Amino acid sequence: MYFEINFFPRPDSPNQCPEWAIVDLQGSLETRQPVPLGGKFVGDLHFTKQNVPILIIGHHILYGKIVDMEKPFAVIVKDESSETATDRDTDKNTSVNYVVKALIKKKLLFKQRPKPIIANIPKKL
Amino acid sequence: MDSDQNERSLEDINTVLEYAKLELSDVKPTVQCIYFSQQLDNQSFKLLELDDTVLETLTNGEKVVIRGNTDDMAVLCTQTTTFEIKEAEISNSMLITPQLDIGEDVDDSGPQNTKVSKVISVMNNYYELRPCKPKVAKLKKLLEENMYSGKECEEDEQHQGLKYCFEDLLNIVQGSEVEIKESLKKLKACQIEGLWRVLDFDFLSQVLNHIIQLCEENDWLSTGIPLDECLETLGQLFPREVIAHVIDCYANEMKSGGQGDHDPDDQPMQIDAKFFSLSEDKICQFFAELVLKNSGKFNLKEFLKVWEQTVPQGMRTSLSQLEGIALIDRNCMPEVIWYFPVEDLPEDVGERFNTLFKTREKWSLAEISPYIRDLTTLKVDVGGLLTKYARASMMNGIKVFSSRKPVT
Repeated sequence: MYFEINFFPRPDSPNQCPEWAIVDLQGSLETRQPVPLGGKFVGDLHFTKQNVPILIIGHHILYGKIVDMEKPFAVIVKDESSETATDRDTDKNTSVNYVVKALIKKKLLFKQRPKPIIANIPKKL
Repeated sequence: MDSDQNERSLEDINTVLEYAKLELSDVKPTVQCIYFSQQLDNQSFKLLELDDTVLETLTNGEKVVIRGNTDDMAVLCTQTTTFEIKEAEISNSMLITPQLDIGEDVDDSGPQNTKVSKVISVMNNYYELRPCKPKVAKLKKLLEENMYSGKECEEDEQHQGLKYCFEDLLNIVQGSEVEIKESLKKLKACQIEGLWRVLDFDFLSQVLNHIIQLCEENDWLSTGIPLDECLETLGQLFPREVIAHVIDCYANEMKSGGQGDHDPDDQPMQIDAKFFSLSEDKICQFFAELVLKNSGKFNLKEFLKVWEQTVPQGMRTSLSQLEGIALIDRNCMPEVIWYFPVEDLPEDVGERFNTLFKTREKWSLAEISPYIRDLTTLKVDVGGLLTKYARASMMNGIKVFSSRKPVT
């Protein structure tokens, strides 16, 4: 059985491929209760005047840095409209097109240990 | 879509900043509030790490293809290069955020404001590309399933094996178009009626001998072979594609049209006719092969005599023509030579060295180079290969190479 996946350039212009970003966190994010993550707030992202990213998630503050990726990622998605199969019985020569939806050239890398924020500071009088 | 997400107020944000002991003056005024998308889906797409050449190919709008069989690893091919695709899993979580502004894209002046950014996926894996060489040995095996022995033999028992067109080969061998074409050239494959075939040796001998005979009759060895006339004359015996192919393999096109040595300052002749001159090295190699192929170990002295007598008159034999084709043992009495072609050796570097050291314990640089040259890459040359896979020592004043580990 052989299969072929073709990348096709974006129909509009290959040079205008959107650039997305990655927030790269060590470890994984968890919620206190096992609830689906969809729609949930993650945190506030700030940048200092020197472009240092600061991410505040729950009671933690994370300092990170902007990384230009040595090898960018291509985000590839199946192009459902392109799926064809020469022979449905044997699946021979199934051809599926994938499309490059975006490129990721930069990421925000947070690898330092998160610092806890103490929530109850007496307000200034 | 995500209309029910609460907009964080500046008050909330600033409270957090205060607790975090950050001053408003330390940070840029735009705060990006990151939420998981309602349609958070970690399966919706794949991440592919791009090599420079692949990125360039995609940016230029050229085709990038992935080929694979169920049993083989998948490979990614541009027109000219092949990569193995390997899945990498990481312990980090990568939050994929399409609309995030980074660093310089964030204004550093103006009133404080918020922007919502959605994470559409959390990924722990991606696919990386490792450049690799296409499997030429596989191509060779495919083409040897049904070697061409002449039109008359095509329907007989020995010729029932599968035959392949270029598309078939691209899919089965999994390499880029350019690399497959180069491999076909190396294997001296010939396209006959749209299918790629390798000529069996006996048949090749027939064709070549006819060409040489025709050359000797017409004195073409000094004036050059006129292609059209040759095709016309021999076209009754063999398919023209085959004749042209054999001439292409064993002769060089002459640039100024059949006048032998020419003055490079002369204007090239304005004639369409092509002329070829037989390559002395390639013809002598062919005759060496002819003599040695089915002979086992041949007495060297006798071989040299026979060889010289077999080649066309005027052509000179030389041991250098046998590099990568035959091995000579000068340590036994009498000295012997035998057929040992590099094309029949394993493709895998480790296995290649193992086979070489099994055949002969110690090799000089001059002896081993022809048998490993095809394994070199842009990054690793002959010296590099030997450093990695062999052990150097001195024997009788010359540097020799032997196996690093026990030969299996």
